[in-house]
Amino acid sequence: MTDHAESESGQLDDSFDKPANAFASPRRLGMLLLVAGLIGLAAAFELAIEKFRILENPLYVPPCTVNEVLDCGSVMRSSQSQVFGFPNPFLGIAGFAALAATGLIMFTGGRLSRPYWITLQAGLTFAVVFVHWLMFQTLYRIGALCPYCMAVWAVTIPAFWYVTLCNLQPIAQRRGRGSKFAATLIRNHGIILTVWLLLVAALAAERFWSPWNSIFA
Amino acid sequence: MSRNTKISVALVSAFAAVIAVIAIVSTVNNNEEPKPSATAATAATGATADEGPDGTEGADAPEGVTRVVASDPRRLGTRGSTGVTFTEFLDFECEACGAAYPAIEELRKEFAGKVTFQIRYFPLPGHGNSRPAAHAVEAAAQQGKLVAMYQMMYENQESWGEQQTSQAEVFRGFAKEIGLNMKEYDSDVDDPKTAARVERDVQAGTALGVASTPSFFINEEPFQGQSIDDLKQQLKDAIAAS
Repeated sequence: MTDHAESESGQLDDSFDKPANAFASPRRLGMLLLVAGLIGLAAAFELAIEKFRILENPLYVPPCTVNEVLDCGSVMRSSQSQVFGFPNPFLGIAGFAALAATGLIMFTGGRLSRPYWITLQAGLTFAVVFVHWLMFQTLYRIGALCPYCMAVWAVTIPAFWYVTLCNLQPIAQRRGRGSKFAATLIRNHGIILTVWLLLVAALAAERFWSPWNSIFA
Repeated sequence: MSRNTKISVALVSAFAAVIAVIAIVSTVNNNEEPKPSATAATAATGATADEGPDGTEGADAPEGVTRVVASDPRRLGTRGSTGVTFTEFLDFECEACGAAYPAIEELRKEFAGKVTFQIRYFPLPGHGNSRPAAHAVEAAAQQGKLVAMYQMMYENQESWGEQQTSQAEVFRGFAKEIGLNMKEYDSDVDDPKTAARVERDVQAGTALGVASTPSFFINEEPFQGQSIDDLKQQLKDAIAAS
């Protein structure tokens, strides 16, 4: 196999024989998760702080409230911002810290056990579903965009996507059911991710086009 | 570049191009629409107003002086003795206004009898029910029950805010609860005069540079502070200067 450097690390080894799939080396995936985790952590931390400030001062206008569209104040004051009875960013702080730590372990050559991979997949699956629910709420219910929240969306999707692909590798290699499908997903990883993110961007743009217009005009 | 990267870059470029085209087209369209003369409005706000706060005519006329203190004010409670007026441009559906509401109620108590509290309708387009809510409150104001309806709207904001369906029935329920004459309410809510009264406030706010809610003014000056304490201090200063 061509990818000799990574071939020792169990899970991820040598199934990706094309240079296009080099993302799947543990170092690169580790780097991705580390960066995604740190960005997500910073955004969640900032959201938590802003939440405190909002609660402290009823007249507080957060710096991320720029206009009627980019308005994290109304997002953070919504009931959706505390779905489980406490501010959502608390979940983000814990989850993204764990994600960053996982990324660092992989980046520095550590190995993760199978149960760990399953847990990671479960956590990221919850995160990606939750984030899409939040997107729907903020786009079609609250009607405002919160830049820090969008940073969270933007990092959760690729983290989920590449961990999922990584876990799909054994299926893609086996000649079993779904192997073709898994292989197609893996082969087109970047295109699918781009379309996914662009779709979110397009929905946001479409939803906010008229308010945007009135601001530009 | 790998195939994935190439196609991704192409997709992103195409997306950016489409957005750019839409942006250009809509900007061009907007520019073709006649706009109210911004310079006239700025000049007007900058000019000194010699009318009293209760000047009877033309206070918000497009060509005249746009004043914060309306000629037909929607007062919360009675007029204050000091001549100081506190104005809030508000949207009943806006969360920030809802968050400020308890603090403003406290302020109303603290400065009762001294300061005149006035609301001006500023329903933002992003909220589906904020204009109907303003109409409902204005209909209540026409029966002398502005405060009760204003309180109803904010105290129940969580139940009716951010809904995608008409909340007219909910507002009607509020009207009933505060004891409005429902026959009058029903006709006033749909009366073009009610809509026009709300729209006058929106026009005045726009001319005064109000862009978001809540926007506060003390007399004719926009409030620039950050907190309720700032607001209290500036009100005290205004009273001292009056």
